Amino acid sequence: MEYLSYLVATGISTGALYALVALGIVVIYKATQVVNFAHGEMFMLGGFFAYTFHVMLDWPYLPSFALAVALAFGVGIAVDRVAFRPLMQRQTLVSVLLVMIGLSFVLKGVARWLWGGKGDYLTFPPLISPEPLSFAGIMVMSQQLVVLGAACAVMVAFALFFKLTRAGRFMQATADNPKAAKLVGLRTDRVYMYTFGVGSAVAAAAAVLMAPLTLLYPDIGFMLFIKAFAAAVLGGLTSIPGAVVGGFLIGIIEQLAAGYLHTAMQEVAAFIVIMIVMIFIPTGLFGLGRMRKV
Amino acid sequence: MQVLVGKRAFLTALFVFLFVIPWIANEYHTFVANLILLYVILSLGLNLLIGFAGQLALANAAMYGIGAYGTGLLMKHFGLPFWISAPGGVAIAVISGTLLALPALRLSGIYLALATLAFAQFTFWLMTHWTPVTFGAGGFIPPPIDFSPLPITQETGIYYLSWGAALVLYVFAKHAMESPIGRAFVAIRDGEVAAQALGIDLLKYKSLAFALSGFYAGVAGALYSGMLGFVGPESFDLLQMVLHKAAVVLGGMGSVIGSLIGGVLLTVLVELTKEFKFSIEVAFGGLLIVFVLFQPNGVIVFVRRLLPGWNERLHYVPPGKETEEDFGAVPETDPEAPAEPDDPAEVPATQPRGGGPV
Amino acid sequence: MTEAALRVRGVSIAFGGVSALDTVDVDFPPGEITGIIGPNGAGKTTLLNVICGMNPPDAGNVFLEERTITGLKPNRIAELGLRRTFQSSQLFAGMTVLENMMAGLHLMSSTGLVGAVLRSKRMRAEEEEMRERALTALDFVGFRHFANRAGDALSFGQQRIIEIARTLIHEPKVVLLDEPAVGLSVNRVAELDELLRRIRDERGVTLVMIEHVIRLVMGVSDRVVVLNSGRKIAEGLPETVRADPAVAEAYLGHQAES
Repeated sequence: MEYLSYLVATGISTGALYALVALGIVVIYKATQVVNFAHGEMFMLGGFFAYTFHVMLDWPYLPSFALAVALAFGVGIAVDRVAFRPLMQRQTLVSVLLVMIGLSFVLKGVARWLWGGKGDYLTFPPLISPEPLSFAGIMVMSQQLVVLGAACAVMVAFALFFKLTRAGRFMQATADNPKAAKLVGLRTDRVYMYTFGVGSAVAAAAAVLMAPLTLLYPDIGFMLFIKAFAAAVLGGLTSIPGAVVGGFLIGIIEQLAAGYLHTAMQEVAAFIVIMIVMIFIPTGLFGLGRMRKV
Repeated sequence: MQVLVGKRAFLTALFVFLFVIPWIANEYHTFVANLILLYVILSLGLNLLIGFAGQLALANAAMYGIGAYGTGLLMKHFGLPFWISAPGGVAIAVISGTLLALPALRLSGIYLALATLAFAQFTFWLMTHWTPVTFGAGGFIPPPIDFSPLPITQETGIYYLSWGAALVLYVFAKHAMESPIGRAFVAIRDGEVAAQALGIDLLKYKSLAFALSGFYAGVAGALYSGMLGFVGPESFDLLQMVLHKAAVVLGGMGSVIGSLIGGVLLTVLVELTKEFKFSIEVAFGGLLIVFVLFQPNGVIVFVRRLLPGWNERLHYVPPGKETEEDFGAVPETDPEAPAEPDDPAEVPATQPRGGGPV
Repeated sequence: MTEAALRVRGVSIAFGGVSALDTVDVDFPPGEITGIIGPNGAGKTTLLNVICGMNPPDAGNVFLEERTITGLKPNRIAELGLRRTFQSSQLFAGMTVLENMMAGLHLMSSTGLVGAVLRSKRMRAEEEEMRERALTALDFVGFRHFANRAGDALSFGQQRIIEIARTLIHEPKVVLLDEPAVGLSVNRVAELDELLRRIRDERGVTLVMIEHVIRLVMGVSDRVVVLNSGRKIAEGLPETVRADPAVAEAYLGHQAES
């Protein structure tokens, strides 16, 4: 029993990370109908940016954090400019995806060149002291609580953003019916651009918070992308609460698979979830039932 | 411009050149030539699936790996000769490939891409972690291949097998795509619903497309295991997937001869850049971006522009771009056809039309 | 009354709890042109989708020459002799016009993978025959000179006509046309009118047409069926339907149609 609650607690804290990354994927998908294949690289870059400022240049924590997030926002906008905008006009989804795959590899290669090749795992200090806390006999890293809190905060912020703000309603309207949104005068291009920026910024924030636990290496982006995508697809790919619940579920499923089946199962659980969900429940747990279009 | 190099002459020259390479080139260049032959096969198979049938699957490297592992492991575990193991490995790749058609019947676009990506990662994980069977991350050395009574080494034997396979599979792909099968593939790519309304069976042709690409990748994998004399998971990772995509896009989506050219060019470029992993990633990721953005029909377009005799019947044509020129279209019977008086009131086909949905 | 070429019996279908068709019965007599009209949202396209197998009905049956085709896949229904066009152009952009027409003859081909790869004699003979038939079918609409053009290099109106020619190429029994006149100029609509009559008179094909251009429907149709909110509210000769107060009511209630 204690073992189980330990696994679940660990699962929740890694799940919070997946949820944060999945939120970005979902927000971008909601607005653009495209899964940003390079989203994991936004996380990876965010972490390396912060590492450069805070560790290599020895700047204080918060400015480094803020600058890393801002830079990631810029990279997100670049993704929109390079991969999304020129191709969406031609409306070829296959091309968009191919370009994003290419982009994710370019960014990974650049990171490998700038911050070290395979096998170099960079450490990054946490926001608060790494004194582990104990809840009901379960040890919890304080950084895990930070990530958990951040995930909840970001989720609430997104929900409010979509419901309450003008920009949020623009994004929603653009997602629901891009042509109509354009007709009533929404500048959909701009909405897409900011969506990519915001999604990337959130991924970067997650990276800075999580880097003390995950370490930083160029391949981390893809690994996280696929897990976060599993979370997003489990949650239905269009639902913000779905992404969060999906993130926690993937975190817990992984830990249970590792704890009770085989440690190597932790890596593969997400792939199996993706395949099962996509084949048997393509709308996910919270999906709107948006099936294949004619 | 005068046609000096016909398609047939080029192909003959290329294959004759590749045939004599083991006699005239050193061991390394022969190895590279063999890799070229394998990449030609891989790129042909992947093009049938994404370029012609329009199914964006990301599991081609996994199929390649399944072919290699299947062949090597059948030899290693059961002591079967290469002549039985290789068809066995190919069969396993075809079966796995065909199974991937199942999600393709329900999913399309991004969903299909990511479902197949998850499958590819799962396969990679099996290669790395299912140690009792796959020998884990370190890979394994399959037993040597006996080419007796022919008096040739394993390297030479595999080289000529690859040469024959590339030639046969090129002709195979070309003929298949210039038949009703090719038309069914392109119809599914350009309009699934309309294709079905014309009586084209999606289940049958999507499965066929996946099975064919599994077959091509499986053949390449089987040959790869014999060529390298070693099988390990790192040959079949994500980077490999991007290389296959880059070969197809570089040559030209939906062009059979484009895949041949793409396979050759890609291998040469990889050999030039392979010293540094980061540079491979940047170079081929970048190549994918540049070509998809600026020349989605690949280098074959430039070739066709110079050599009109290189036109093929079925091409990848993105909506609203380069159509006329690409098809080299000259009205067959009526030279005045372009003068057809189009009413200016007509809505151009590429723009959304008015009128309410019902 | 002669046996119907196509018979719809008690067909109902709902999407997400909203009824799109409610126990609709229609008979389509052979060799006639039946026009289906009705305000937006009346369920016209849904009816075509049900008939051609894209949306299996929740209840009811569809018979093609007295054979039930309910629940069959669209490609099976096409095999039994039913073809359709769509509201937007569905020519395959990556093929020439000729290849598009040959794709319409897909079911004629008996070539398997082996025959195709070996370029068997039979396969080549079949291809040659298909090419001939495709050119003849293009002649029927006067577009032979477009044979080698790319599918999407033509104007919208030309694409629509070629699509209609493609539905005819494999000797269908019934052809469904979804708003064939949309986006066409007045002159082109007149040409379409004539083409539809020729299809009926020279080919003996049963035509079912959804159309908003009332002048075309009323002029060319032998019979007209009116749908409103998923129900059939009138059917009969064009003049009868035109005079029916319920029809006027349905249209007025929805404001003027285009």
